[in-house]
Amino acid sequence: MSPPPPPIVNTVNLVKIYQNGGVPVPAVRGVDLQVEAGQFVAVMGPSGSGKSTLVHMIGGLDARTSGEIWLDGKRADTLNESAWALLRRQKIGFVFQFFNLVANMTVADNVELPALLAGASPREARERREYLLGELGLADRADAAPAQLAGGEQQRVALARALANRPSLLLADEPTGNLDSRNTRDVLRLLSEVHRDGQTIIMVTHDARVASLADRVVSLLDGEIVDDGAVGPARRRPRATAGDVVELRG
Amino acid sequence: MSTTRASIRWIRADLRVRRGQALLTVLAVAGIVTALITAATLLEDGTNPWRGLFAESRGAHVWIHTKDAPDVTALSRLHGVTQVAGPYRTAPVMLTMDGKKSPVALRGMQVRPPSVAAPLIREGRWLRSGDVDGVVVERSFAEALGLRVGGPFTVTALSGASHPLVVVGLADTADQGFYPEWTPGLAWTLTTTLARVEPALGRSESVTGLRLADGEDTLPVAHGAVTLLAEKIQRMSTWREVRASMELDNRLLGLLLALFGVTGLVAAALAIVNVVGGRVLTQTRDIATLKSLGYTRSQIFGLLMAEHGALGLLGIAVGLVCGQIASSFALDGMPILPLSSVPLLSIIGGTAAVVLVAVALPAWRGGRTPPIPAAPAAPPKGRLSRVARLALLVRLPPALVLGTRDAFTRRVPAFLSIFGLAVPMMMITIGLGVWATLDDFLHHPEQVGQAAALTVRPDKLTPEDAARIVGADPEVQAAYPGSEVSALEPEQTRSVLARAVGTSAQPYPFSVVEGRMFAGRGEAVAGQGLLDLLGVKIGDRVRMTVGGTPLIVHIVGRVVEPDQDGEVLSLGLDSLAAKDAVPPQFYSLVLRPGADPAAVRARLLAASDEGLEVHRVVNPAERLEVVRVLIVALIAVLALLGLANLLTASALGLRDHALDLAVLKAMGLTPGQVAATLVTGTGLLVVLGVSAGTAAGASLVGGLIDLQGHTSGVGAGIGRTPSALTLLVAVLVAVGAALLVTLIPARRAVRAQIPVAVR
Ligand SMILES: Nc1ncnc2c1ncn2[C@@H]1O[C@H](COP(=O)(O)OP(=O)(O)O)[C@@H](O)[C@H]1O
Ligand SMILES: [Mg+2]
Repeated sequence: MSPPPPPIVNTVNLVKIYQNGGVPVPAVRGVDLQVEAGQFVAVMGPSGSGKSTLVHMIGGLDARTSGEIWLDGKRADTLNESAWALLRRQKIGFVFQFFNLVANMTVADNVELPALLAGASPREARERREYLLGELGLADRADAAPAQLAGGEQQRVALARALANRPSLLLADEPTGNLDSRNTRDVLRLLSEVHRDGQTIIMVTHDARVASLADRVVSLLDGEIVDDGAVGPARRRPRATAGDVVELRG
Repeated sequence: MSTTRASIRWIRADLRVRRGQALLTVLAVAGIVTALITAATLLEDGTNPWRGLFAESRGAHVWIHTKDAPDVTALSRLHGVTQVAGPYRTAPVMLTMDGKKSPVALRGMQVRPPSVAAPLIREGRWLRSGDVDGVVVERSFAEALGLRVGGPFTVTALSGASHPLVVVGLADTADQGFYPEWTPGLAWTLTTTLARVEPALGRSESVTGLRLADGEDTLPVAHGAVTLLAEKIQRMSTWREVRASMELDNRLLGLLLALFGVTGLVAAALAIVNVVGGRVLTQTRDIATLKSLGYTRSQIFGLLMAEHGALGLLGIAVGLVCGQIASSFALDGMPILPLSSVPLLSIIGGTAAVVLVAVALPAWRGGRTPPIPAAPAAPPKGRLSRVARLALLVRLPPALVLGTRDAFTRRVPAFLSIFGLAVPMMMITIGLGVWATLDDFLHHPEQVGQAAALTVRPDKLTPEDAARIVGADPEVQAAYPGSEVSALEPEQTRSVLARAVGTSAQPYPFSVVEGRMFAGRGEAVAGQGLLDLLGVKIGDRVRMTVGGTPLIVHIVGRVVEPDQDGEVLSLGLDSLAAKDAVPPQFYSLVLRPGADPAAVRARLLAASDEGLEVHRVVNPAERLEVVRVLIVALIAVLALLGLANLLTASALGLRDHALDLAVLKAMGLTPGQVAATLVTGTGLLVVLGVSAGTAAGASLVGGLIDLQGHTSGVGAGIGRTPSALTLLVAVLVAVGAALLVTLIPARRAVRAQIPVAVR
């Protein structure tokens, strides 16, 4: 019998303490979190509870103060900056609250950028981009500048960009935090679709209704996990999630 | 590298949105490289065409004009003479072209070109035995008159007979200087043709060239020839005069360019640091995004280096091309040797290094951008700077206070901006100072030792008749009799020019800048070059041989001396021995204010029935007119640099502000006040930079020009600071243009609705 596959994410007693003008600000205080392949985890908590910090550390955007981070069974917290960058290129996709599309580049270029960065040929990158934008219903906006797009469209482009390299882990930090209900619904529908296709997702949100979409909700308070539970199957009717949101958002 | 493709996309996209700024960088670097290459070309030894022409034509060092053919064997036996050219029979004729008459010396030659001082055929061909009407024309003369191979060359001899000749070739020569600095023009025909044009031997002269083993022996050989031929000699010219007449004052021009180029390079480096730094700051979010996508620190560094470095290198390439063009323009199409590889490579390497270092500093900072794109890159704020507090104390309007505060919220960029504006402004001020100095040369030639506008030689008349004709002209204020002889200090091997004009009692108005004017026999004034050559100071007595007669010269003053590298001794005619002083060789004419030298010259020629030889004194500033073109071009480049700095400062200010705009409006500031706040922030930096630069330039320029004057032998005392009015206008134009440049984006920003959330 083969051993079970390692979790995609495993953090061991992860701690982050910021120095704010000499004053230590503990943002994350000993978080142990395992995320299995294919899981959709929502991280909840009030503002300032350390959600973003946690996700940034898992993606290597921020260095941990102490503790361990294992990605795909490999130790990652000891990596240097460039090794983290390489890892991100291949395995991690990010979606941020403010979309963070490169303003000067077209939608197409924004989506092709990660593939090119990972060494894909321009043709492969273009095909992948055409596929993703088609899936996200943005095929006709490929040559637009990000500024010409509505917020929801921008976030969908950001999602396409994050998925360009088929990452093993998708990190989303309040992806709907800056969107109206209609666009929130669109983005969430897409997230649950990619999840259904097997994508592992960690999504930060402080909106309980958005979190209800996930398999599992982790609650943070003052940098510590205070609650970690699977969402009850009674509340989670498969295949009707997007409709839920519409109802919830009214 | 796997990031190459992604990076190219980024660079293309970024350049597309900032074409203007990119172009500015390329142009600025190109301008600097152009200046440096032109400077190096001018400073390099090979630029004086004389050197090449003399070597190529195996030129003669001394040319002797005599009435009849001299004793060639005796001349060739003079110590130091290796070969003799000629003697050639030469007749003065008048060339008529489009109704304009130009005097020409027509020189009779053989079909076989001589082995010494052979004309260098550049177009067409040399004379052939059947060429009864053929003539080869000196090239600068041909160019000045628009003569072409195959074109007519109709000459009138002194007898009045007209002869239609045909140009068969154009040739360069080192026998005489370029037309029109050197007149008359020169043309070669077969001796048979010459005999037909001017059959009377009495109306022609004989020209003989002496080639020496060593050019430094010119003076003793010339003395020897004078002793040998005595009264037969009509005049003589040496290679030094030819070389001097061909010289474009290249060194001064080159030094000026080098100064501008090097300082410009510093300014360009500052501008690049500012522009790239500003760009990196405004792109913090995008750079962070790239990092979150998997760019490493060094790849970001490489990306920024590639984009901004490439612009700089492109500028260098463009500058290389422009440098070649500018060099040939500055030398006015003269045959120049291309810049040798060592200075060329060091200019390319040096500029590239400066550009790359200037790009590397901000690129390094860009590489260290933290990868969390959400982190707002707000400027440090909260604290009122000291300047702002001062503004508040003196009760300035709120917009000014806020703007003043903002000017210094980012200290390093603020000081870089000030500095980046001050350096170009300083150079612009220096350029204006050079301009003012040139103006001074032109408008007050007496201050640069050129009180006389015309020199008259009696030529065919007696000195008495010449003095009478000159004295009768209503516009001649004074005519000073003068003679030029060579002076030799016993320990010196090289002789210098001793110029006696006027008398001790009535001296020529030399421009004495130190000590006093000579006032008695044996007293003299000297140029800086001579003082340096002899190693003497004012007040010293020097034992010299002046015109062959021993004389103890008391040097009582220093004059501004634009001729002969300043190596000129000026004294009264009464200090010379009688044989040199009587009769005077020439008269220096000081004209009445407002008189037109050309008109007076024409009148004197008419009055003397062409018997006088009247020369216009060439103002050194006239030969330096090209400097003005240069100053304008450099001011344009420097203004570009200033503009680049300014746009960066303004973009940074706007970016820092974009976040505050809504807040400012909410605080109750009108759109006008908000725009004023934005403009004040940048405007303050502009005012500080421009004033500092102007002050520095104004205090440096006089000293710099005098330093240049000192080293070139002219001597200190010529440097002029631009007038207060010029400076004021320059400052106002700079500040005004700067405010306009910042106002436009500020107003646009104020009108645009900035979403408060996007930070
Ligand atoms: N770069 C930073 N420097 C100092 N303190 C920080 C920094 N980033 C976040 N913090 C602090 O860490 C805590 C957690 O922040 P964050 O992870 O952004 O919380 P959340 O995303 O849950 O709102 C907060 O108290 C915040 O002020
Ligand atoms: Mg957060």
